Amino acid sequence: MIEPSYFWTNVLFLAIGTIAIRGTFIIMSSRIKISDRWRQIFSFIPAAILPAFVAPAVFYNEGHQAWLWGKERFFVLIFATAICYYTRSTVATIAFGLAALYFLNVSS
Amino acid sequence: MKQKNLFFAGFRGMAPILTGVIPFGAVMGTVFFNAKLSLAQSLGMDFVVYAGAAQLAAVDLMSKHAGYLVVVITGLIINLRFLLYSAALSPVLQRSSFLVKIFSAYSLTDQAYALMSANEHKLKNAEEATQFYLGATVSMILTWHSSVIAGYIFGNFAPPSLSLDFAVPLSFAALVIPTIKNKTYLFVAIFSSLASLLLHSLPYKMGLMVTALLSIALATFLTRKKPTHD
Repeated sequence: MIEPSYFWTNVLFLAIGTIAIRGTFIIMSSRIKISDRWRQIFSFIPAAILPAFVAPAVFYNEGHQAWLWGKERFFVLIFATAICYYTRSTVATIAFGLAALYFLNVSS
Repeated sequence: MKQKNLFFAGFRGMAPILTGVIPFGAVMGTVFFNAKLSLAQSLGMDFVVYAGAAQLAAVDLMSKHAGYLVVVITGLIINLRFLLYSAALSPVLQRSSFLVKIFSAYSLTDQAYALMSANEHKLKNAEEATQFYLGATVSMILTWHSSVIAGYIFGNFAPPSLSLDFAVPLSFAALVIPTIKNKTYLFVAIFSSLASLLLHSLPYKMGLMVTALLSIALATFLTRKKPTHD
């Protein structure tokens, strides 16, 4: 049982902290001049952070396919990424990835 | 008329990514229910914090009666990545009204930011990008809260055989590809993948943030102006 006063105090501080993290730069943006150099560095943020979500999620996942050393998610992701590169379609990438993993799993 | 279309383009653009959001919301709802929180408490937290990964960790720690500092600091460390998105969005939202800025900040998520950055080349100016982004965040908010409520009421409804959780890494991979403009971006992305594997065991999911900062430092170094000898 989580005590209501304990729960709401934690929620309140989490909410304040989270909006501060999310908001500071956006709110400050009108007062500062953002140079082209900073824009260039910001353009690397997706490449810097998104692979760090993907790599551990697929590499450390222990699957069931012995012939793929249990790394079917890793291999499916490599193929899905190649499909994305050529089709530039998020729908095709996700549909292929989910379908491929599904068929690998039912075939085990 | 045109701007309205961009709002809907952002709204619709989220659709494939939501295949990964719905099962995550279902897990969140199930976790709220299992922690014996009321639906009002669950939705209260969900609305004011609106950060799934941090909420999962916080609810887990609260059911173990962890101290305030532990709960709040852990949640905020997980949310630190929003600082980077907020910085990246600041040039886009620079001229927006205060209300749009506050709403954009509140509704900032990995998915909405990633979708906007993946489509940046199609958006001509800051206003277009803002409309597209707002459409994406509204789509995300509606889906997230609905799936949390459904998870709370019906339990974890996502069929395990479909492995829908795999849609999360798939969508992030699909969203990073369009931002890889040349070999420098590719190099940074490969560095980020490898670093995240090596740093995965850091506590409080700090591997993600440390990897991101190292990768940005690398990008800054790779794109520095070479000193000219004249």
